[in-house]
Order: sequence, then structure tokens, then C-alpha cells
Amino acid sequence: MSRPTSGPVASDPSWGNRSDLDVLNRDIPRVDGPVKATGEAVYTHDVRLPDMLWARVLVHPVPRAEIESIDVEAASEMPGVVHIEALKEPGDAVRYLGDDAVLAVVAAETPDQAADALGAIVVKARRLAPVVTPEQALKEGAPVVSRRRKADSNVGRANERGDEAVADAALAGAVAVVERTFVVPIQHHVCLETHGHVVQPAPDNEQVTVYASTQSVGGTPRGLARTLGRDASKIRVLTPHMGGGFGSKFGPGLEGALAARVANVTGRPVHLMLTRADEFAIAGNRSGSRQKLKVGADSDGRLVGLKLEADKLGGVSGGSLPGPPYIYTVTDGAAVFSKIRSVHTATDGSRAMRAPGHPQASFAMEAAVDELGYLLGMDLVDIRIRNLESAVHHRQLRRVAEEIGWADHPNRDRPGAAVNGRAVGIGFGVSVWGPGGRSSRCDVTVRPDGSVVSATATQDLGTGARTYVAAIVAEELGLTVDMVEARIGDSDLPPSVTSGGSVTTGSSAPAIKDAAHKAREGLEALLTDVLEAPVGSYVWKDGRVSVRGDASRSLPWIAVCALLREPLLAQGEFRDFLHEGRIHGAQAAKVEVDTLTGRVKVLKMVTCQDQGLPLNRLALRSQINGGMVQALSYGLLEQRVFDEQDGFLLSDNLDLYKIAGSQEIPEMVALIDDEDERPSVCGMAEAPVIPGHSAIAGAIHNACGARLTRMPFTADNVLETLYGKI
Amino acid sequence: MKDFDLKLPENLDAAIGELPAEYTREGAQVLAGGQDIVTVMKDDIEQPAALVSLQRLGLDGIEWDGDGGVTLGATVTVQALADDAGLERAFPALREAAQSIGSPQIRSQATLGGNLNQRPRCPYYRHPSVSCFKKGGSVCLAEFGFNKYAAIFGGGPSYFSHPSDLATVLLMLGATASISGPGGERKVPLAELYVLPEESLETETVLRPDEILTSVTIPAPPAETRSSYLKFKERASYDFALAAVAVSVVLDGSGVVTDARVVLGGVAPKPWEVPAAARALIGKSMGPEAWTAAGAAAVADADPLEHNGYKVHLVKGLVFRALESLA
Repeated sequence: MSRPTSGPVASDPSWGNRSDLDVLNRDIPRVDGPVKATGEAVYTHDVRLPDMLWARVLVHPVPRAEIESIDVEAASEMPGVVHIEALKEPGDAVRYLGDDAVLAVVAAETPDQAADALGAIVVKARRLAPVVTPEQALKEGAPVVSRRRKADSNVGRANERGDEAVADAALAGAVAVVERTFVVPIQHHVCLETHGHVVQPAPDNEQVTVYASTQSVGGTPRGLARTLGRDASKIRVLTPHMGGGFGSKFGPGLEGALAARVANVTGRPVHLMLTRADEFAIAGNRSGSRQKLKVGADSDGRLVGLKLEADKLGGVSGGSLPGPPYIYTVTDGAAVFSKIRSVHTATDGSRAMRAPGHPQASFAMEAAVDELGYLLGMDLVDIRIRNLESAVHHRQLRRVAEEIGWADHPNRDRPGAAVNGRAVGIGFGVSVWGPGGRSSRCDVTVRPDGSVVSATATQDLGTGARTYVAAIVAEELGLTVDMVEARIGDSDLPPSVTSGGSVTTGSSAPAIKDAAHKAREGLEALLTDVLEAPVGSYVWKDGRVSVRGDASRSLPWIAVCALLREPLLAQGEFRDFLHEGRIHGAQAAKVEVDTLTGRVKVLKMVTCQDQGLPLNRLALRSQINGGMVQALSYGLLEQRVFDEQDGFLLSDNLDLYKIAGSQEIPEMVALIDDEDERPSVCGMAEAPVIPGHSAIAGAIHNACGARLTRMPFTADNVLETLYGKI
Repeated sequence: MKDFDLKLPENLDAAIGELPAEYTREGAQVLAGGQDIVTVMKDDIEQPAALVSLQRLGLDGIEWDGDGGVTLGATVTVQALADDAGLERAFPALREAAQSIGSPQIRSQATLGGNLNQRPRCPYYRHPSVSCFKKGGSVCLAEFGFNKYAAIFGGGPSYFSHPSDLATVLLMLGATASISGPGGERKVPLAELYVLPEESLETETVLRPDEILTSVTIPAPPAETRSSYLKFKERASYDFALAAVAVSVVLDGSGVVTDARVVLGGVAPKPWEVPAAARALIGKSMGPEAWTAAGAAAVADADPLEHNGYKVHLVKGLVFRALESLA
């Protein structure tokens, strides 16, 4: 049995001096690297339970239809089919391609039998006009697909800010004015692991076990309680390993509810993971946008006025777009006017995705800053620094400019031109994020045999979170990371946060630190009689404890633990002063453009990013690199494609929905901003995804004078911008 | 995917005997590397009751004749074409084309015969719920819908662009296919192997359902021939061609082009030879002026749809770049 630590607490925990750290602020290989590399790690997809059924859902192929019949009879007679259920009745409408288009669920003994049964369901439906583009949604007489109550059009209420007349007057007085319309397509999360669950039912007095690919192991029991007809405490959710979420996996979703229902009805374990095609159709996306942006500057390059009219394109959801001016400052805040509205289509609603709305806003704003710089003949770094308030941004921009070779670049204040059809350019972008810190708990247990467990109900989406759960404790107790077992991904553990908005580190790390600190003081309380020094006067290092200033009074770790008669349990909680959530980043990209073929090759990307104390420099650089890759892929390739005639989602596969592969990846430099000496921690995953595509677009413009106002930067876009549409 | 029988015949006659005389969606089809036919079956486009494997027919040889020509067996893998030192010396463009295909995994499994006989990549054709001319339907949704990847030459009533890189380069190299059927063997030049949608909608080649392409023979190139295959992939890591150019030139001692051949890929329902582009080169000095003229000649007859006009710009650029690489 364990007992909570008792006795007076001598001091508050702290992250300590960076120069004293032995584990943190270094490169720590992730603790689950070997099991992931060998395939030993069990993801939700990999869970196999005795007697398990394989479930699949049937998604209607077009967004809008009226159901005439769903005949499951032949399918239900097929070999291995155990459960089959139509989810719509004759006369029901399919209102959009998303959850509402899920027509049936099938469960069978094998995955192939489930797929075959799905194919044998006979659906008769009258297909209705698709509303898959904003043009179709805005056309006069368009079917109303908005889900707002009493909606009479597909346009949401416009959010208007500022005084248009004041903005117009300021723009009229500006020395340089840029006006452009930017078009940003819908992006998919493309998690390596699709959405889904494995549900193992149980008698009423026992816990149901749910394996979930989720960003919220702690919130999922509540999300499934009603479907499973039991209290959340009788549901245990496990996420031992997870293949990505990026904001798309906060709740069990329809697929989780259906898995739970089929498990309830059949009394058997059910495996329901979406296929890749289903994933593209119903599992969310990053909203698109159309932004008509007008920005003016004075002769010194200061932004003096701004107007934005924008449509957020979030399907049946609202979409997201932060208000202007994005990150940059307009000298007179009253000279900023914006009108932002949602335009709804009959397509899957947008969900949170890594910095929701921010990359979209960045694309337009960075372009405007570039173009004002060129109009005024200003260096692109100088005009940015002039309009950014934070000195952190200033130093970060100078740092990335140095790393990318800006000083030797010929086109610093005007676009270049191609020579023999080839041109090289450089572009920039900045980011901000405010990663919160919230209530979180952690238990650290030290056993008499010297083993240590750090346990908290967080989840590792692939970020490396599991590693710091062990490393923070190792640092505090003078151990190596492998001496601490990290337990996460289990809703029965002490509660922590949903991983969204980069809050995981800022919330869970302080609680882990607090628990580790309490464990340390609990052990020091035992040592007062042995080494004869009060709590707070010990140094824990290299697997030993010694009295500060007297290395002769010392014990090895194992001997300290042997003083315990029973396991020592230290319960930590979120401590606000260990966290600070205000971060900055700057990026630069260098590209080569072949103006004869439209090929854009990204040669190099650089990021400089602050976040307070780097817990694990290796994981941090990995996150920064991941952000650059995701932004590069967004900029160069990604685009959701619908057939506009009948409404088929053509890009429901990784053949047509193109994401960057190894050949797209440039030289990447992830610089950790070590001038940030804040004694706090926070997450930072959103920031590095915000400006990468903007920097690439800027680099294309800088190379050859072609300002691409829509994404992605594929050959058709480059060639049509250069030479016009044929 | 429907269940199917896997046939493993030990000789060519037995293999041909397993194939149907007339096409049906359920009729047996040939299996080589399986990189295309299996995906066609998974997407529910064809439902063959049997696949007839060429695995045991010994069609995986690379055999040189005494004069510098070579015969490539139908089941030689794409990777083997990319790795063969002799092919690289004699036909560098073939090697470039092979290396540009798919991913390492796909190249290691995919075959020459399978590549030449692969089906269209049009997203409408590949979509399990879409009906189209190529699947027995009565419409080509690409004509007025999403046609960014569609043909700018030779389209109508269907507008897919042929995806085979090897077809494009082998046509440029003047290769001939050997085809065996119940009536014996026939030789078909690559230039006559493919048919346009206006000639046939259910197939892309002159092969009959009970015929097997067994090998391809490339004649020895004329002395001093330079050749190149330049493929533009939207996603460099692995992709089909947005457009591709296979080009060969022969230069005299003063750098004047005396012979040329230009074939385009990814822009028509079959590999698209542009004799006008070759004519624009012959007699000209090898240089930017000739390359620009050849590019312009290559697209003179293009007839793009709403979203694929950029391919006109792209082909011009690729012709220029391919010729530039041979200078």
C-alpha cells in the first residue's frame, strides 16, 4: 500500500538553473522509440481481442440526397455478418457529406466480410444538387444547407469590427497600398492512424474497456457514457500509443458511438476504425477561406490602415480565422476594419487543426507585408521588424535571416527575375501562440526497490509527451530517464488535460514537476535522521543523494529507497508559476522556381522558436521540423477536390490528396531560441505550422515576381500566375 | 474486392487458354506484378473471376541481340529496368523513365508488361461510385468537371491521360511489342499499340482479351543518338506524370540536329508523338531557339479543357528542359 507524503513542504518546486540540469534541456531519445521502430507498440488499430467483431460504416457517396430505401437484407445473410443496421429511414435526407451521410453500420467476423457486406447493402436515393463550393452555396436560390436554426441562406452572420470609414480614410492617406484576394483551400489532418475505437463490453458492475485513438483519454469516458448506458467511472479508456490527431480527435465522434452501440448490442468486442476514404469524408478538416485584404503603409513602412473581408469555409461548421491585423501592428488600431462571415457548404464540418485559423490568416498578411515592402523598396526583414511589437520576433527574424543567407541574397527589397527560367528566392513569416496551462495531476511513486513510476492521464499523440513524463522526474531525483517508468494513456490515472491548443506540456509538466518535487522532499524527510541535514539541503545527482556542500555525507539511490517501508506516493498538481504560455517564432524559406515548368523546389527552411525551458531539445526540434513539413505540404500540394457536378469527393485517397513525401523535404534547420531564459515551460506545437507556407509563397514571389494568391503552389498555379490561364 | 481464382499456368499456351475471347467485367485477366489490376479490383472497377499469373512463364529476361538491340520480357520489373547497366548505357531515357515510376516498393513489384497495360488514373474512373464511359457508362464527368489532370490531345468522348511512362519512352525508342494469343504471335510497334477513346472505350490497347503482351524489343539506336525522358511529377516523391517528354536527337559535327523524335506522356489517352516538334528541330542548331520552337510546335494542336490549359505551358517548358539536358 502507498501513502501520501506527509510532513511540511519545505519549498516550492522550480525548474532550476539551466546550467545545473542533467536530463532536461538536452536531447532525450523518446522512451517509446524502440517499440515504435520495431512495431511492438500497440496502437488502437492493432488491438485484437478474443471474439472481436470488425465493424465498418457505409458513407453515402454524395453530400445531398433523399433516401428512398436502404435494403440490408441480402447483406445480413452474408457469411460472417453478425450485426447490420441502417441509420436512416426512407424519406430521410442526407444533408451533408459528413456524419449525416453515414447510412449504415456493419459488424462481421472478419474485416473482409464486413467490407463485402457493406458492398451488398442496396441504397436507393434521389441525389440532390450538391452544394460543395462557396459559389454554389452563394448562388441565388441555392438549397439552404446551413445548420443554423431558421437559416434562410448559407451565409452566417458577419462579424464586423472597426469603423470602415476610418479604415478607408487611413488607406486613402497611405503611401503604399496593396489589395489582393487570397484563396486558401480546405486541408485535411491526414493522421497516420485514422479515427476509431475498440470497445470491449462488460457486465454492468464491471468497467467497459475502450481503446481509443484520442487526444482526450480523460474526456472520452464522458463522451461514451450515454451510449454505453453507464457512468463514466465505469468506462476505462486506453490510448497506449497514438498515430496523430492534430485537433481532429477530441471526442469519440460518431464512429466511437457506433462502436459502443454495436458492442452493447452484440455483447462482443468491436473494432471500428475508419477507412482512409471514410476519414477524408467525415473526420474533419482545416477550414478554407477567401480573404479580400487591403493594407496601406506610410513612407517609413509602418502599417497605417487595413481592411479585410473574409469568408470562412468550414463546410457545415463555422470555420476559423483570427481577426486582423494578424500578428503585425497597425499604428492606429482604429484604422482596422474587418468583416468576417461563414459560408456553409454541404460538406464535413471543419474541426480544430493545429493552430486553427492561423495559417490561413498568415498567408494573406505575410503576402501583404511583402508587397508593401517591395512597393516602398524596403528590405523584407526591415519592414517586418518595423511592424512587429515584440523584440523576441525581431531577434528571431534576424536569426533566421542569417541562417538562410539573407545578407548575401540579391533580392532583398524587390523581386528577382528568372535567368534561363530559373530563379531563387527567400521569404519570411512569423508566428505567435498562447499555449494555456490548466488543471492537471500526476502521481509519482517511489518503491523500496528503487523503481519509480510517474503516472498521469495524458496521451502522447506522437509528440514525445511520454518521454518528459519520465524525464522531469528523473531530473528532480538525480536519475536517468530509463529508471523512471512513464504511465500515460489510461483514463484511470490521475486526470490531465485534453491535448489541444498546445496545452499538454504547460499543464502536465508542472504537475509532474510538483509530484517529483514532493517525492524528493518526502525522501529528504527520511534522510534527516540518516544524513543529518534538513529537507531542502540535498543534492540529487548521478543516482546519489548528498548533503549540499558536504559530498562525504552521501547515499546511493537504492540505499535511499531501502529506507522506505512502503511505496512513497507523491501527488502533484498544476502549479501556475511553473508555466508561461506566450510564445513566438520566425521562419524563413528558400526556394528555386523553374519558370518554364512551374516547378517550386523548396531548398531550405529555418525556424527559430521560443517556449521557455526546453524540456527535451530533440523532441522540440522534431516538433518544429514537423511544423515546417506540415506547412510545406499545405503550401505545395494539399487540396480537397470535389466534383462540382454531382458532388463526389474525388480526393478521398492519398493518390489525389497529395501530401509531401521524402523528395519534397528540404534542408531544415530548427533553432531553439535560447535567448528566451524564462524559468517556465509550455507547449509550442501549433506555432511552427503557422507561417511556413507563407514564407514559401513569399520566396516564390521574391524569386521571380509571381505572387501566388491561392494555394497550393502547384505547377498550374505558378504557370497561370506567370503566363495567364489558357 | 470480390473473391477470385488465381491461375498459375506453367506455359504460355495454358495461360492464353485461361483467358476469355470476349471482354466482360467478370472475365479472367492477366496478373503480372499486380500493382494496377489489384487496385482496379479493389476500387470495384473490374471484377475478374480469375487472374492468370505470368509468374511461371519465364518472361523476365533481358536479352541482347548481336546488333545492340534488346528484348525485354513482360515480367521484368521496373526496378530491374532502372538498375540494368547495359540498358542505362544504350537507352538512358529508358532508365530515367523506369526510375521515375512510383516508389521503390512499387518499382520492385511492378513489371514492364503491367506498366504498359495499366488502366487510366482519372479520379472519376477510379472512384467506386462514379459511372463513366470507361466503365460502361454514358458520360465523362471530367469533360466539364475536375479535369486538371486530363488530356489536352486526343480526348473525347473520354478525356483521361495515359499514365504509362514506359509506353512514352518505348515509343520514342521505336520499340515493338510481341503479343501472343490463340492464333499465335504478332508484332505490334508501340506506335500502334494504343487506341484512342474514339476507337475504343473498354480498352486502351489493341490487345484482345485473350492475348498476352510477352515482350518488347528495342532496336539498336542510330550512332550518336542522345535521348532523355523528363517527367514532371506534381508530388516529386511519387506520382504519375502531369506531363512528360521523351526525346532523342542526333547531332552532326557542328551541333546541327540531323534527326529527332519527340513523344509526350501524360497529356493524351495514349503516348502522343509530335512529329512537328521533331521537324522544328531538324536542321537547326542545338540551342534555346530550336528548343523553344520545338516546344511551341509540340503544343500547336493542343485542345485543353477548363482546368488543364497549364499543361500547354508545361509541355513547352519540359520540351525545352529535356533538350537542354541533351546539349
